Amino acid sequence: MGKEESPQIARRSTRHSSATISKNEAETKSNEPLPPTVNDLFYGEEEKPISLDDVVSSFSGRRIQIIELMRVLGPVNCPMVPLFIYGDSSTGKTSITLQIFRHLNRPFVYSSCLTCYSPRILFESTLNQLLLHRKSMANSYLSAKRCERPSDFVNFLREALISITSNLQGNSGKSGSKKFDRRASGNMIYLIFDNLERVREWDKSSTMLPFLFNLYDILKMPEVGLIFISNTSPDTYYSSMGYAEPTPICFPDYTEDDLRQIFMKNQENKKLYSSFLDVVLKPFFRITRRVDELSTAFSQLYKKYCEPLSDLGVVPNEEMKRRLFSNLQPHIAPSMNEIFKVSSQPSTDIGATKEAKRKSSSKKSGLEITDQLDLHMSTSAKYLLISAFLASRNPATLDASLFDSTGGSDSRKRKRKPSEKTLEQKEAAEQELLMKGPGTFPLERLLAIFQCITSVAEGSLEEEEQGNDGLRVQVGDNSLMSDVLLQLSSLCNANLIVKGISCPLEGSTRYRSTICEDMALKVARSLKFPLSKYLYRR
Amino acid sequence: MTATKAGDSPSTAPESSANDHIQPFYLLHKASTSRNSGRKSAVARRIDLSPSKSSTSTSTNPQFDPHKAFQSVWSKIDSAIKDVLRDVNTNVFNEIHSWVRQSFLAVTSSGVPTFAEATKSFPILNHATSKQLFTGLVLIKNMEFVDDLLTFEELGLFLKSHACHVANLSSLDLSTKNGVGGCLRSLLRQFLTVTLDAADISILASWYREFGNHNSPVVIIVEDMERCSRSVLSDFILILSEWVVKIPMILIMGVTTLDAPKTVLPSHVLQQLLPSKFTLGSPAERMDAVVEAALVRWCSGFSIGHKVAVFLRNYFLNHDGTLTSFIRALKIACAQHFSIEPLSSVLGLLAEEDSEGERLLALSSGMAAQVDSNLASCLTELKRSQKCWGIVVMCLYEAGKYNKVQLLDLLCEALDPDIYNSIASDTHTRSGKGFEISSSSNHSMARQYLQKDGPISQAIEKVRDLPASSLSQLLKSWENLAVDVLEINVKVKELQPMIKLEEGKSLKQDFTDLAKRHTSRTAANIKESKTINEKAATLLANLVRDFMRPIECIPFHEIACFKDVEKLQSALIGDPRRRIQVDLLEFHEFLRCKCCSRSCNIPLQSMPDTSIMYTLAQEHGDLINLHDWFQSFKTIVTNPSSKGKRKGKQSPLPKKRKETNEHENKSESSIQARLCRAVTELQITGLIRMPSKRRPDFVQRVAFGL
Repeated sequence: MGKEESPQIARRSTRHSSATISKNEAETKSNEPLPPTVNDLFYGEEEKPISLDDVVSSFSGRRIQIIELMRVLGPVNCPMVPLFIYGDSSTGKTSITLQIFRHLNRPFVYSSCLTCYSPRILFESTLNQLLLHRKSMANSYLSAKRCERPSDFVNFLREALISITSNLQGNSGKSGSKKFDRRASGNMIYLIFDNLERVREWDKSSTMLPFLFNLYDILKMPEVGLIFISNTSPDTYYSSMGYAEPTPICFPDYTEDDLRQIFMKNQENKKLYSSFLDVVLKPFFRITRRVDELSTAFSQLYKKYCEPLSDLGVVPNEEMKRRLFSNLQPHIAPSMNEIFKVSSQPSTDIGATKEAKRKSSSKKSGLEITDQLDLHMSTSAKYLLISAFLASRNPATLDASLFDSTGGSDSRKRKRKPSEKTLEQKEAAEQELLMKGPGTFPLERLLAIFQCITSVAEGSLEEEEQGNDGLRVQVGDNSLMSDVLLQLSSLCNANLIVKGISCPLEGSTRYRSTICEDMALKVARSLKFPLSKYLYRR
Repeated sequence: MTATKAGDSPSTAPESSANDHIQPFYLLHKASTSRNSGRKSAVARRIDLSPSKSSTSTSTNPQFDPHKAFQSVWSKIDSAIKDVLRDVNTNVFNEIHSWVRQSFLAVTSSGVPTFAEATKSFPILNHATSKQLFTGLVLIKNMEFVDDLLTFEELGLFLKSHACHVANLSSLDLSTKNGVGGCLRSLLRQFLTVTLDAADISILASWYREFGNHNSPVVIIVEDMERCSRSVLSDFILILSEWVVKIPMILIMGVTTLDAPKTVLPSHVLQQLLPSKFTLGSPAERMDAVVEAALVRWCSGFSIGHKVAVFLRNYFLNHDGTLTSFIRALKIACAQHFSIEPLSSVLGLLAEEDSEGERLLALSSGMAAQVDSNLASCLTELKRSQKCWGIVVMCLYEAGKYNKVQLLDLLCEALDPDIYNSIASDTHTRSGKGFEISSSSNHSMARQYLQKDGPISQAIEKVRDLPASSLSQLLKSWENLAVDVLEINVKVKELQPMIKLEEGKSLKQDFTDLAKRHTSRTAANIKESKTINEKAATLLANLVRDFMRPIECIPFHEIACFKDVEKLQSALIGDPRRRIQVDLLEFHEFLRCKCCSRSCNIPLQSMPDTSIMYTLAQEHGDLINLHDWFQSFKTIVTNPSSKGKRKGKQSPLPKKRKETNEHENKSESSIQARLCRAVTELQITGLIRMPSKRRPDFVQRVAFGL
C-alpha cells in the first residue's frame, strides 16, 4: 500500500530541514513537527487506550449516556446512524465523546463550529484533517484544498474518505506492522461537528444546517459516522426539510449529588472540602448547574473559607465548621450575584491606597473619594450626559413644565389625596418602567434640554464670574453648543448613550441613555448642577 | 541637541498625518489659517508694533526663515511632550509586563502541550477553569479615546521589546463588517506577517509551536473595547478561550469604565475572562506633565500670553478634554505666531543652538549689525526671567500638589500681568520703607491681589499647614528645582537647616517618650513648627513677588509670546452650523455680483436658489408648508429681472398668458426641479428635515444652532 514507506520518507525530510534551519538539534527534536500520519486521526498516539470503566468513573453521573453512546456507535466496522448529542454547556458532551473515542481507539475528525466560524473554514479544516495536511510555514499556512461551496466539499470529502478508509483497511489487514497492531480500529471513520448551535448564526445557516444533517444521505458511505454536538435541543434545528433526523442523546444537567462528586474529585483535604460544599453547593445549585461557572465561584470562595486556617490538612470538627461558616457567610450572596470580578494588581493597590491616604489627609473627608467621578469628561459632555439622562428618565410631556420657567409652578398645585386605585396604577407604571428601562428620545429633545440646562448653568457661572476675576473670559456666548454633535458622538462611542436604529421613514435617530442614577448624580455633583430638581419622581 | 535636530524631519512627518483624523471642523478652518500665514501685507503692518526696525531684512535672511524656525521650535516642544508622556506611562507599563509574565507562568504551569496535541483540532481535556483567559483591563479614564491611541501603540512596542508576541487590534478590526474573520486575519497578519483570506486560529497554533516561539506569551491588545461590535468581540473571546490551553494568549483591553465589559459582553463570555485592572494616568495628570514640559520649562523659547492660556484651559475643560487637541491647539498657536511675528524667527535660532546667554550674545553679535545688541541683551534678559518664572511656578505647583492644584490653572494665574503689576507696584511703594515685611502684612498683601481662591494663594496657604515631614520634602524639591538659579537657591537653602533641626527634635521626642506622646506635643512645639511653615510660606510669597514676572510684563516679549486669542479661537472652534446659515444669508460677500448687491433681505431672482429658499424659510415657523414655499419661490424666480423692483403675484400673470402652454409647463417643471434641488441642499446642510409620513406636505426646520 505504500503506507509503510511514506511516513519514513517524510520523517527523513523533516529531520533534514530541521537540521538546516536550526542549529539547536536537541531543542527542535523535542517538539519536532512530525508530518501528519493517519495516526493523527486517533486520539493521542502515546497514551494507552483507556478502559470503559475508567471513562465511566471519570465522569460521575454520566453512566447512562456513556452506555447509550457506546450502543449507538456499536462494535467495530458497524455502520451507524447520525448521532445528535445535546445538553447544556459544560455537561461533559465533548469530553465524554472524545474519551470514548480514546477508549474505542477509532479514527475521527473533529471540527468545532466555534473555531471554524464560516462554512469555508469548516470545510477546509475537515478536509485538512482527512487529507493529513498540516498548515505550516512550508506551505505558507494554506489549506490542502480551497473549498467554499457545499457541493465541492462533498466531492472532496468523498475522495478523501475513500483514500482514508482504504488506508485503514490496509492497516488492519497488515496487522503485523509496528504501530498498528494494537489498533482494533476497523474501517469506520467518524466526523464530529461540535458547537453546532453556532451554525445557526451564520449567514448561510438556512442552507448549511440541512446540508450537514443530510450529509450522511448525500455521501452514501456506510463507513462514515456523523456526530453532532450542540448545546441546544434538536427541536431548535429541524424544520422537516426532508432528511432523516439523527438519533438524539440528551446530556441532562447534573444533579446536586453529581456536582458534589465532581467537585470532590482531586481534592486534597476531602473532609474540609466536603464541609465547604455543604455550605455553598445548595444555594449555588439554585442559580447555576454549570460546572465551569461553579468551579470559578467555588475556587475563590474556598480560598476565603480556608483563610482563617493555618493548616490546610486539618480535619474540621463541628465547632470549627460553624466558625468557618460564619466567616464565609457574608461572601456567599455577593459572589452569587457577581459573575465578573475585577481584581487589581497588588502594586496598583498600594499606589491607590497611598493616593487615598494623601487625599484624605489633604481633604479631611473620606467621602470625597467615593463621590468622585473616575472618568474625565469635558464640561459640555457632562451637560450633554445629564440632559440625555433627563430625557431618558422624564416623560416628554413634562419637559415644558420642568424647563420652562413660567410653567413650572402650576404643576405642583394639583395635588390630590391619592386613592387606592391611583396608587395601584402608580405601582404598575413603576413596574412597567423597570421592565422597559430608560426611554428613548430624539436628538431635538436632547438638544433642547441641553440648551435649557446650560443656559441655567451659565447664568450661575456668570454670577460667580463677577467675583472670580476673568478666568472665564473669551469663552464666547454659546460656547458649549459649538461642537455638541461631536461630543454626542463620542459619548455614543463610550457607550454612555446608546444610539438606536433610525426609523427609515422619518429618518430620525433615537437615543437612549444607559447610565445609572448614581453616575448621573456624580456627574451633576462635579458640575454643581441641581439634578434632583429636574428629576421626575413617580 | 544635534540629535534632536537630526530627528526633526521624521518626527514632524507623522505629526502632520496624525492631525488628519481628529476633528472635522479643523479642516474647515485650515484654509483660513494658511491664508493668514500667506498674508504678507498684514505681517508688514504688524512690524510697526514690534520695537525693532530690522525686521524686513531679517525676513529676507535665509537663516531667519519663519517656516524653519517653526519647524525647529515645534519639533523641540513635540519631542519634549512625547518624552513626558512616555514617562507618565512607564510605571503602568512595567506593571502590565510583570502581570503578563505571571499569567504566562500560570497558563503554562499546568504543562505545555506537545506539538501534536497543540495543533490538533480537538480540545485538550483539562480542568473546567482552564479555558479562562487572562484579561487586563486598562482604564483609560477619559471619555475620548484619541489620547490613548499612542499609549497602546507604545504599550505594544514595550511588551515586544520584553520578549512577548504582541498584536494590536482596534475596533475597526472587530467590526460587524469584518466579522471574526477580519480580526483573526489581522492577528495573523501581525504575528505571521502573511495575509490569508481564510484566517483560522489553528494556523496561529502551528505558528506558535513552530520555530521556538513557544517561550513567550502571546499578547493581544484590543485598544478600544467599547467601540467594538459586541457579537464579534464575544465570538472572538470564545475562540481565544477555546485555544488558550494550546496558545498561551493574554488579552489586554482598553476600557473607559470598569462596567464596560459587563454591558458589552454576555455572561457566558464574561465567564471566560479572568480580569485584572490597570489604570493609566488621568488626563489631568498628563496635562500637567505636558504643560510643564512645553510651557513652564522654557525649553523651546515659545510661550503663550495670559488670555491664550485661559482660552486653552477653558477649551480643555469645557469642550474637548483631550490632550491631543490641546497639543494641536498649541501647535496652531505656534504656527500662527511664527507667521505673524517676523522677529519670532530668532526663536528658531535660539532653539536650535540651545544657547546659554553668552552663546546667544556671540551669535547675535556675529550675525549682523542689523540686529541690535540691545535686542540680544533683551533676549537674554527675557530668557533669564522666564527661567525664574518657570522655577517659581514649579515651586508653587509642588506646594499646590498637596492641595490638588492643577498646573494649568496655576499657569493661567501666573501668566496674568494684572496681578503681577498690582503686586509689583505695591512692593515698590513699600520697599522704600524697608525690605522687611512682616509675614502677616505679606499675607494680607497676597490676599489682596491674588484671587481669593486662586491656585497661587491656595498653594501658599497649603504651605502654612503642611506637616513637618512633607514640608521638608517640599523644600528638598524646591532646592532641586532652583539648582540653576542662585538667588532662589540661596533663599531655599536658608530654610533647610531649620527644618532638619525640627525634624531631629521631633524624632528624638518620639524615641524618648513614646508613651507620653500626647503630652509631649506641647503648645510651644506646635508653635515652633508653625513658624517654620510660616517662613516657608513667606519665602514662597516673596518668590512670587520677586521672580514670577509674567512674560507679558517683560519688554520684547512679543518675540516669544503668542497673544492673539481670536485667531486661535476661530481656528479651533469652527462652529460650522452657524457659519452655514450665516453664509446662506450673506452669500453676497462671496459672490460679489452686482445684481444682488442692493437688496439685503428681499429675495431676488438672481440670487442662488438655496439662498432664496432659506431666506423665504426665515418667514415661516417650525413647519413650512411646501406648497406656500413653492408658490413664493415661483413668484420670485419667474419675476423678470427688469421688473425686479416690484414683486408680487400679479406681475408674471400677463406675461405668461402670451407664452404657449407647453412652455409654461416646461418652466413649471424646471422650477419644481430647482426647488427640489434647493430643498435637498438645505437638507444636506442639516437645516431642514424632509416631510414626515404624518405631515406629508410640511418640512420641518431644524431650529437649533443659531
